[in-house]
This record gives sequence, C-alpha cells and structure tokens, in this order.
Amino acid sequence: MTIAQESATTPSRSAARRRNRLDIKEGRTAFFFLLPSLIGVILFLVVPILASLVLSFTNWKLLGKPEFVGFANYVRLFSTDPQFWAVLRNTLFFTAEYLVLNIIISLGLAVWISSLKVGQRWFRVIFFLPTFTPGIAVAIVWMLIFAPGGFFDFLMSAISVQVPSVLTDQTLAMQAVVVVSLWAGVGYNTVLFNAALDMVPANYLEAARIDGASAWDRFWKIRLPLISPTLFFGTVMTAITSLQVFDQIYVMTRGGPGSATATLGYAIYQKGFQNFQMGYASSIAWVMFALIMALTALQFWLQRKWVHYDN
Amino acid sequence: MKITYVLAAALLAGSSMLAATASAQETVNLTWQMWGDESDTALFTSLADLVTAEYPNIKVTPQFSGWTDYWTRLPVLASSGQIADLVAMQSMRMPSFYSVLEPLDSYIAADGMDKAEFESSIMNGLSHDGVQYALPYDVGPWLVYYNRDKFAAAGLAEPALDWTFDDFKADAIALTQGETFGYATQAFDYVAGPIALGAEYFNDANQFDVTNAGYVDAVKKYADLTVADKASPVFASGAGAISGSGRFAAGSAAMYIDGPWVLLNTKDSVDFKIGVAPLPRGEGDSRFITAGSGWGVAAASQHKEEAFKALKVLTGPKAAEILASAGRALPGRLAQQDFWYDVAAKDVSGTRETLKFMFEHSTPFRLNEYWNDFENLLTQYMPLALNGDKTTQEVLSDIQSQLPM
Repeated sequence: MTIAQESATTPSRSAARRRNRLDIKEGRTAFFFLLPSLIGVILFLVVPILASLVLSFTNWKLLGKPEFVGFANYVRLFSTDPQFWAVLRNTLFFTAEYLVLNIIISLGLAVWISSLKVGQRWFRVIFFLPTFTPGIAVAIVWMLIFAPGGFFDFLMSAISVQVPSVLTDQTLAMQAVVVVSLWAGVGYNTVLFNAALDMVPANYLEAARIDGASAWDRFWKIRLPLISPTLFFGTVMTAITSLQVFDQIYVMTRGGPGSATATLGYAIYQKGFQNFQMGYASSIAWVMFALIMALTALQFWLQRKWVHYDN
Repeated sequence: MKITYVLAAALLAGSSMLAATASAQETVNLTWQMWGDESDTALFTSLADLVTAEYPNIKVTPQFSGWTDYWTRLPVLASSGQIADLVAMQSMRMPSFYSVLEPLDSYIAADGMDKAEFESSIMNGLSHDGVQYALPYDVGPWLVYYNRDKFAAAGLAEPALDWTFDDFKADAIALTQGETFGYATQAFDYVAGPIALGAEYFNDANQFDVTNAGYVDAVKKYADLTVADKASPVFASGAGAISGSGRFAAGSAAMYIDGPWVLLNTKDSVDFKIGVAPLPRGEGDSRFITAGSGWGVAAASQHKEEAFKALKVLTGPKAAEILASAGRALPGRLAQQDFWYDVAAKDVSGTRETLKFMFEHSTPFRLNEYWNDFENLLTQYMPLALNGDKTTQEVLSDIQSQLPM
C-alpha cells in the first residue's frame, strides 16, 4: 500500500519540482526583462509617493531641514484652514458637474457619429483634436476669450445680452472652467464610446429591429448595456482626472475670484510651489489621493449594478 | 657641452615660468542664474565679458529661466546643491530666499566699496535683518502711467508731483468715457497705493494686520474707483497682475500703475504719448515703496571670492551704463541713472522729475516671509471687492484669516 502510494506520488512530486525550477528560472528571466521599468516605477513612483507621505508629517519649506510635526498638517487642514472645506466643495462640485456633462455629451456625440453614413472618420478626428492639444494652450486661449472685455463679453454685448464678466463672477467662473474642460476632454470619451458602439454586433440590432424594437429601445436595451464596460472605464478615468483638475484653473482663474474655483489640485500647487509649504501641500495631496481612492472604489462597487460583461 | 647645459637650464627656467603663469591664470568658471529668455543672452553675455576683461581668469556664464519658473527652480536647485555661483534676487523675494545667499558685508568692507553709490531704498530691499545679501542692478518705485493724449482731449491738467488721491479720483472719473476707463486696476495697486496714502499692512512686529482701519480705508478708496465710480474695470484673478498694462497699451484705459521696468516696452508698444506721475498721496506727505533686483553670491558657491569680484563688475558703473543705455534697467547706481533717463525715458514726459521726487520720498518696503502668500491672496480675493460681491472689509478679513501668523 505504502509502496504503491510512494510510486504514485514520486513522479508527480519530481514533476512539480521540475516545473518549480522552470518557474524560478523563467521568473528570473522575466525579472531581468522587467527590471528597467521596475526601476523606473520604484524611482519615479514608489519613492516619491512614500516621500510625500513622510513629508506630510513635516513642515518642510523646500529650503532648510524638515522638522517632524506629527499630525499637525492634517489637524490644520481639517480644523483651522479656512479655505479647505471650500476647496473640497469646489472639487466635488466640479467633478460632479463635469463628469455628468462629459459622459452625456460624449455619449451623445458618439451615438450621432456612429449613425452617420459618411464622414465618421473625419468627425472622430475633429472631436479628438482637442485631446492632443496642450491643455495650457487651450486654457490660455479660453482665458483670453472669457477675460473681462474679451471676445465673449464683446459677443454678449453685440447681441445685447446682459451677463456679468465670466471670470470675475463667483458662479460663472466655475462654469467657465467646466466649459473649457468639456471642450478639451469630451473628444477622448467620444472616440472611446464610438469605438465601443461600432463593436456592438449588427445582428443583435437587426434581430431587435425585426422584432419591432424602436430606435430608443435598441439604444437603451441593447447598445447601452453592451458598451457599459467601456462606459464604466470612461467614467472612472474621467472622474479621476476631474478630481485632479489644475491646468485650466491655474491659467484662467488662479482659484479666484475669492475661492470660487480653488480646487485640491490648485491648492497643492499654491501651498507647495507658491508658498513653499511642502509638508502642508503633501498632506493635501494625500487627502486628494484618499478621495480618489474612495470614489473609484465606490464606482467599482456600483458597477455590479449596471455594467454587463458579455461572458 | 657648455652650450647644452645653458640650453637645458634655459629650457628648465622657461618651463617653470610657464607653469607659474598657468597656475596664476587657472580659469575659474562661474555660473550666473537669472530670469529672462534667449533674447537677453547677448546683453548679459556682454556683461559677463566685462568680468573676464577685468579678471582674465574668471569666466561667467549666464543661465536663464522664465520668471515664474525661476522662483520654483531656485529652492529646488539650492536644496539639491546645484545652485549657480551668482544668483539673481528680487527685493520682494528676499525674506523667503536670503538663506541661499552669502552675506556680503564682510566682502564689501574688505573691498572698501562705497554703498552710497547705490540708491538707498534698494540696498535696503536687498538686505535682510540689516545684512546685505545682494547688490542691485535696477530699482524703481510703482508709479502712475498716463495717456497724455487722453488728458489733453479731456481738457485735464497733467498730474502734479504731489497730487492727492482726490485729484487722481477726479481725473479717473473725468477720463471715463464710453468704452474707455479712466484707470485700469491691478492687484499690486492695493499694496503700493495704500502705502502712498500713508497706510500700513503690517503691525509693529512686522506681521500682517490687513484689517487695521487705515489699510482697510485706503484699499476701499482704490476699490471704490471700480465698484462705486465705475472708473476702472474689474481685474480677473487669473490675470490680475497684468491686465491693466494691456488695457493701457490698447488705449482703453487712461491710467494704470506699474514700475519703470516696463517703461521701455510700454513706450514702444503704444501709439500715443505717455507720461508718468508719482502715486497720489493722502492727507500727509507722499511716500513710495520701491522694488528692484540684484545679484548675490550663492552661500553654497565654491568660489565666493571670485564670485564677489565678478559681482562687483556686474553691478559696477560700466555694467550699469550698458543696462541703462539698453533701456533694460533703471540702474540701482545713482550716477548711471542718467543713461536710462536719456535713452529709455527720452520721450516720456516727467520721468526724471517724477523718479527723483519718488526716490527722495521713498519709504522702506516692509516684507516678511509670507509676502508671496499675501500677494497671491490679493490677486485671488480683491475681485470680490471690486465687483461688489463683498465689502473691502470682508475681503481683507478673508485674506487675513488665511495668512499664517
């Protein structure tokens, strides 16, 4: 009995050992192939991230030696900083408005483009153009358009519409930032969703049409569920980038007027690179990190309810 | 045989002499970091050449970065040990950055340099706690630029040297006609303007106290020109520091406040006659703050002695003459200021009288390490007082609450 057992197990054990050895050997080779990017990731991602975590517990001012201050930066952030809650509110407001509008507009454009008989490719290129235009350049041009006495004001007065100058109005300034962000950001999602829509098998739609489903039903019950994984990807990525919004605000409003457009991304720049409070800026960065993590986790949790994977 | 010995001796002597000259002439390469762009290279290289002409063993190489980047790079370069030997510094940034510079007092004393050859307010501006950290190449007070054609068209007398805020206000209102504003406000007006009116934004301990009655009142006077009299457009926080110059140059604003450092560019970019006047005074005497820039020796430099020698040439009379004649800078050296008046300010009415008057009435520009925070907050929050969303008092309280104490 024992002999039989042994003879039965020995070959499999030695096979496992051989496989194991092979794995180790392959693993080692793979490790060397991965090493260049691993070094890059450690040097430029892991180390700075850990450094910023350490910095957030110091009062480093770029010049001089950092001193350990415990949780003082975080305490100041949540209790005494008069601007922080406004900044957080602005960031969430911008994210919510921009995310919803971006998804609706880009989905609308994607559906429209995919319904076109001719020129699909051209429209895709046209809408994608702003995506590879530098964000700063886009923001500068829009800043000149919206500046007091600028082109927008001229246009409004030419058609006798009384609106306050956009960038000096507390409510409109944020809307201007949203408009510019949409102009620059919609193209990417449009192309993404358009590609997904084109992948929807034509026979599904054909079958639905024969069964008498209306265009609205075909969109709502077939195409949308089938592109939901792409829609989910687009939503998550857009949410992350909108929580980090910076370029447009840096160029157009510098967080103003007042704190109307001050967001987390801009606050990090302002505290860190204008006021040289690196420790404090790092603590804001970690709050932003936590916020992005939480929101992304929430989206992943919610996706179970609305994202349909084919298999 | 004898001849061979003599020849050998001569060769030996010659080679040792050569070695001696070589060691005396060992070149010291100094780097010189400052703001600017490629177009400045020729001018500043000509200054660097002056150093080599005076000290053949010292070679200075200028390095430029844009104005905004300069102040981000400076602390990064300093903390990573890559700072240049000679470092450009602006008086308003001195409280934040003096620690990267070498105190110059001992060098100045050893050299016997006469500090009185420089304009006193900028020497003060480039020192910190009484220690000199840099020598100036330019200086200037904030002053009022005005469009002489518009003054003439409105039948107004041109500003007097000791004009009051009420005169300024009356002119601004009179010059506001149709699409044209009498004045285009910018963020820094709420620093230089109130000072000229006699107000202080600091308490006696050199800490921000921007809610004191005098300062609030003075800021309100300027803000009312926009919010009540509609004599100026509101500036947007994104472009708060520069929008006025654009409007002035375009002819859609008759007055704005800036320094003499923009005079050359302004003069060349407008198609009307411009004049300059001191900032208007309040009830008391006129008083003006000045700012300027200079160069210092990096505390981390390996060649401080040579760097100071170079600095002496770069801020010397000849260099000042070159910069002034090019219109690049109103020299911090008093004797060379005439070159600037004769060249850059040639067609600008009242420049010499105005600047001389303002230097005579200069007051120390009080700064602390949070100065940059304050300027940014003014740019960000003043538009709310200008568009009437908040009162001046509320805006200044907001700013005060955000300034580190």
